[in-house]
Amino acid sequence: MLCGIDLGSRSVKLVITDTAGKIEFTNVFETVRFYREYGKRHQDGLVVDFEALGVGQISEVIATGYGRNTIDIVGATVIPELKAHALGAIWQTGLTDFTLLDLGGQDSKVIKVRKRKMVDFATNDKCAASTGRYLENMASVLDISLEELSRYSDNPVELNSTCAIFGESELIGRIVEGYGIPELSAGVNYTIYKRIKPMLTSLISDTIVFTGGVALGQAIRRLIEQELKREVVVPQHPQLNGAIGCVAHALEKREQNAARN
Amino acid sequence: MSRIGITTTVPIEIILASGQVPVDLNNIFITDKEASKLVEAAEDAGYPRNICGWIKGLYSTVVNSNDIDKVIAVTQGDCSNTHALMETLELAGVQTLPFAYPFDRDYDLLKLQMDKLIAALGTDWEAVGKVTNRLKSLRQKVAEIDRLTWQENTVSGFDNHLFQVSCSDFDGDADSFEQRVDEFLAKTQAAAEFNENIRLGFIGVPPIFTDLYTYFEQMGARVVFNEVQRQFAMPNVVEDLVEQYRLYTYPYGVFGRIQDIQAEIEKRNIDGIIHYVQSFCFRQIEDMIFREKLDVPILTIEGDKPGRVDARTKLRIDSFLEMLK
Ligand code: SF4
Repeated sequence: MLCGIDLGSRSVKLVITDTAGKIEFTNVFETVRFYREYGKRHQDGLVVDFEALGVGQISEVIATGYGRNTIDIVGATVIPELKAHALGAIWQTGLTDFTLLDLGGQDSKVIKVRKRKMVDFATNDKCAASTGRYLENMASVLDISLEELSRYSDNPVELNSTCAIFGESELIGRIVEGYGIPELSAGVNYTIYKRIKPMLTSLISDTIVFTGGVALGQAIRRLIEQELKREVVVPQHPQLNGAIGCVAHALEKREQNAARN
Repeated sequence: MSRIGITTTVPIEIILASGQVPVDLNNIFITDKEASKLVEAAEDAGYPRNICGWIKGLYSTVVNSNDIDKVIAVTQGDCSNTHALMETLELAGVQTLPFAYPFDRDYDLLKLQMDKLIAALGTDWEAVGKVTNRLKSLRQKVAEIDRLTWQENTVSGFDNHLFQVSCSDFDGDADSFEQRVDEFLAKTQAAAEFNENIRLGFIGVPPIFTDLYTYFEQMGARVVFNEVQRQFAMPNVVEDLVEQYRLYTYPYGVFGRIQDIQAEIEKRNIDGIIHYVQSFCFRQIEDMIFREKLDVPILTIEGDKPGRVDARTKLRIDSFLEMLK
């Protein structure tokens, strides 16, 4: 069994597959809880307690995530995060030329892939605007669920601040003006679209693969399709894409080795 | 001998000819053990948060020092923030002398600026000519360090950066600086070749990060071209000093810089470019132009306050190097 782990800033994504790549187990943990419950400190770094996870015998662990120098999982192969995401998207969609948009808890990434290779990328820097965290904040201001928030994309109210903090008071101002949940939610979703648009257009392809926790919702996907007039593909496991990429990396290596022998 | 602070490269031949000591404030600021405290001190004094860390560091460096009471500020060709920097320094009792590089590289205007500086510092062209001659051989030696970096691969990207960037003021003393250059060159003769696979070019202002070059090397890459630092060192030694400062690319338009960069990318066999930009700097806009005009992969990294490279920037560097493999 192979295990891919994506150690994100807010959640840890774990995928376990058999050696043919068939997914056997997946889970998303809150980062701190994962370290507390399944991580054991060892003098060489962190040991993942697979027994506690109840997932049987693991033959290979491949990890990626927030700053590969800060990851120190004993016995794991560590691969750079953007590479993992590109590999995951190729593996999940079978596409070879596309632009990957990944919107996670705190980061957004855009990766341009040509002939299965990453050729350029952009990431948001040092700011949690246009990410899951911003959406969560806004949903709680509106007192609705994230799922509800992600339904609306029509008639967005105008919001200028994409800052996760300042955005709140602006949104409250709109509530006071009497707008309803659909327009308010659409406005929130539209600010995300506005934020990622420059990154997307500078690295555009005919097809956009959309991953990360935010891709689980509908609104932003619709906005990208409507405004940029491109096909948007959300793979089966958008949130697990990085972890799947880890497994894909191992499978690729195995294939190469087999071909050599 | 009095010390004159400079905010970026100016014709130091003139300062030296006047018998005074040029001090590049940037170098003093960034090598200070408490560099980030200097930035905070400027903020405490009222500098806005969303202003470049270099400017704030320069302000505190001058205000804190007890032997710099005069500053030559480059008011055109470097940074428009320098205007307000000058004004706040004046407020703090520091005398400032403006120097402007003409945007269109006009020879006569540049000469006029140099004439004025000569008059202000009380020297003449004859004395300046002597210093220019004296510095020629030194500039050539520093150019040799640069050649060894990319051609012989015996000098690290950081050492290259350090020697080139130090040429803005020759560390205040050209003779002892030359001695250090000589020692370094002698030592390098026996040095082993660096064998990192990925060859990088570094463009943009010198980084405010303290360990950037080490990090590249740790990840299997090395910098074989330091664009602005090399310009500070003025590798093109010509007879006429005005012409020398006209050939210097940094203070003029971006397209002249691009020509220089393009030529060096080819000559030095560069795989990828790191474009360093400073938070809140107008030069961030020029990133657009570099991306359009240069046809090698570019990674833009942004620094704000002095300190070590942060995890997020490391992630971007890792991915970029992976892409170049
Ligand atoms: S980095 Fe930019 S803003 Fe900062 S001092 Fe230099 S030119 Fe000015």
